[in-house]
Amino acid sequence: MGQSMFIFFLVKGLEISAPIAFAALGAVFSERSGVVNIALEGIMIVTSFTIVWASIALQSVWLGLFFAVIAGSFIALIHAVVTVTFKVDQIVSGVALNIFAFGLARFLSQKVFGQETQTPTNPYLFPQLLGVNSVAFWLIPIAILAWFVLYRTVFGLRLRTVGENPEAADTLGLNVYGLRYTGVIISGAMCGMSAATLFPSQWISGMTAGRGYIALAAMIFGRWDPIGAVLASLLFGYADTFRIMFETKIPIPSQFVQMFPYILAVVVLAGMVGKARAPAADGKPYIKGED
Amino acid sequence: MNVPLLEMKGITKRFPGVLANDRVSFDLYAGEVHALVGENGAGKTTLMKILYGLYSPDSGEIFINGEGIHIKNPREAIHHGIGMVHQHFMLIPPFTVLENIIIGEESHRAGILKLDEPANKIREIMEDNNLIVELDARIENIPVGLQQRVEILKILYRGAEILVFDEPTAVLTPQEVHELFKTFREMKKRGKGIIFISHKLDEVLEIADRITVIRKGKIIRTLERKEATKPLIAELMVGKPVLLEVKKPEVKVGEVVLEVKDLRIKSPRGYDVVAGVDFNVRSGEVYGIAGVEGNGQSELVEAIAEDVPIKNGDIILMGKSIVRWDVRRRREAGISHIPEDRHRYGLLLPFSIAENLTLGMHYREPFVNRLQVMNRKAIRDFAKGVIEKFDIRTPSEMTPAHALSGGNQQKVIVARELSAEPKLLLASQPTRGVDIGATEFIHNQIMNAKGEGRAVLLVSADLDEIMSLSDRIGVIYKGRIIREFQRSETTKEEIGFYMMGEKEAEKEAGEGASGGGEERADKAADKGGSGDEA
Repeated sequence: MGQSMFIFFLVKGLEISAPIAFAALGAVFSERSGVVNIALEGIMIVTSFTIVWASIALQSVWLGLFFAVIAGSFIALIHAVVTVTFKVDQIVSGVALNIFAFGLARFLSQKVFGQETQTPTNPYLFPQLLGVNSVAFWLIPIAILAWFVLYRTVFGLRLRTVGENPEAADTLGLNVYGLRYTGVIISGAMCGMSAATLFPSQWISGMTAGRGYIALAAMIFGRWDPIGAVLASLLFGYADTFRIMFETKIPIPSQFVQMFPYILAVVVLAGMVGKARAPAADGKPYIKGED
Repeated sequence: MNVPLLEMKGITKRFPGVLANDRVSFDLYAGEVHALVGENGAGKTTLMKILYGLYSPDSGEIFINGEGIHIKNPREAIHHGIGMVHQHFMLIPPFTVLENIIIGEESHRAGILKLDEPANKIREIMEDNNLIVELDARIENIPVGLQQRVEILKILYRGAEILVFDEPTAVLTPQEVHELFKTFREMKKRGKGIIFISHKLDEVLEIADRITVIRKGKIIRTLERKEATKPLIAELMVGKPVLLEVKKPEVKVGEVVLEVKDLRIKSPRGYDVVAGVDFNVRSGEVYGIAGVEGNGQSELVEAIAEDVPIKNGDIILMGKSIVRWDVRRRREAGISHIPEDRHRYGLLLPFSIAENLTLGMHYREPFVNRLQVMNRKAIRDFAKGVIEKFDIRTPSEMTPAHALSGGNQQKVIVARELSAEPKLLLASQPTRGVDIGATEFIHNQIMNAKGEGRAVLLVSADLDEIMSLSDRIGVIYKGRIIREFQRSETTKEEIGFYMMGEKEAEKEAGEGASGGGEERADKAADKGGSGDEA
């Protein structure tokens, strides 16, 4: 492998990891507040449609990104209302939102562009850096910021408290519901960043291809920690990059090679059993005033 | 001492079907310990939750320093100088001590945490109140006694003048209790008012200045310390005279029923949670396992009752190794089990009392016919008999288990396990959260079982229970039984020292000759506390 090829592999891997990593970072905030968000996949479908739609409509990819973040936050808000306020099972709500998002994006595509399964190409794109989408490089400062917010700020301490022991948080006068809403909405907003790095030039039905779930796996593999989640996302992303770059050069049927990142996810998670510890109150609705 | 620090007047709180507090009045002066005692469900906790803003009363008034106030939520309670040490600690195990203390009252600049300032303030409070804890330690790595100190520091940090302790001694060793009471005295001197909720009457008599007894939502009486005696308080609590001592039956100890040999069990976290346990229990004998919770007791009992994977060793029942047997085979061979968590493992809460009473025998005739179809009449008839015999207070045998009080639920389990006529009874925390009346009943049942020649393995966090029921006592520490005693040859204090570990106890024995009594206990508790952090 030549040197330029190696650098290309490095940056390409970053670009491919970024959508997973941004979503995983968001998921850290949701889960640390105590809400499991498996709607990431669906939110990503909506944000990746929104960024294309808004970019074309407003003739700016930056405005497209802005609205993708808003759209992601909005779907996440639905998840928060349903699970935090109405205490519906978080998995059920997440599954419902995934199905809803899949249909919603197709419906909007049909309405706006007259085609159900794909949009026209979006000519408004982010600047390139080293031959890839420059937004991918934002991952590094944002990951550090996420770590700082979670461990060094009042908000982060309170968010983690709510995810571990909401009853204790309540007795200390913290706003349990408010903090959980915030955590969930951050996870939706970060899916907007995922859309910006996934494929902002066109939306095609099915293009997210399970990245929301992979992000969730990366977050768990990363032990509910921002830096861990990003490193795990990079593992999956680089595995995928390796597949893309060398698929044709390996004498194995491509279908098997394509499975590689997913098999890696399963193996890695199976190896984690009993080792990682989720926030103690993760996935459990909090009902005020109950013993 | 004329204006009380706190006065609650005519507090009434009704829940669907229950009058939890009926015109309750309660006051507290600065510099006193006022004990609030009563059975489970008598309304102590409800009253304190009202004080802490977790419930709002239907009627009644609260005054602090003579000023009427309304407390709508815990934040306001904290603001009014009310602090509560909850029975179940409100701590975050993976966080540090410092983080746990400051949550909700953080110092910050532009949202970024500042830790030095609060750390200094907390160190001052620790010095003043005899409450030393390592601030950087994680809660999950420090013993329960220290965790409780963190809870106290938490409320002192918030400037509490009124401190409510909800059953604070339930989880402590005698030495830790002693330390806690020292802190109480320290805080009294500083003019704080302490509300001490407990049902351990010895402790109440030791520390309280006044004692208020609550029963069925009503204040029965407030006693001055000097007029209070143990039988009087117990009688006021229960509403009838109570026998406080258990009568031990005279019975000959027979052959070895259970033998555990070098048992080791690996915890999911990788270390040996049971690390080489040897002991035996004979027929007609109660073997008590004393120890601070989390030292391997639960895993040990589980390994005897169920086929959980063990790393090493053997468990022998009546001469046969049972480690490979499944639960049914073990039960059929004569093991009964009163599990420590009755809601998770002891009962099917939505099922009827009758169904719960036949669990474990449900597959046998007469409860099913040859086609394994349930015989409902046989089940109900059996249940009626047992309910009568074990004095289970229930509207009918078809009442779901969740509708019973904790004490009666526990009686259902005890009744079921004993009607299987076991050779070995495993009793894990048999009276936890159970009222005095039911406790007395269950203790008598365990003594009856002993009298009938059954072997009993008793595990309890309540040292008084261990002391009053056992014939032999093994002290478990970090997965090993570090010392075994004949009941007649030991004291509660001695057991307490060993509960904090062998080394501490030996050191104690060495120093014992020179030091004074109280002084010794203090030192030991300090060492016991800091020992685990290193």
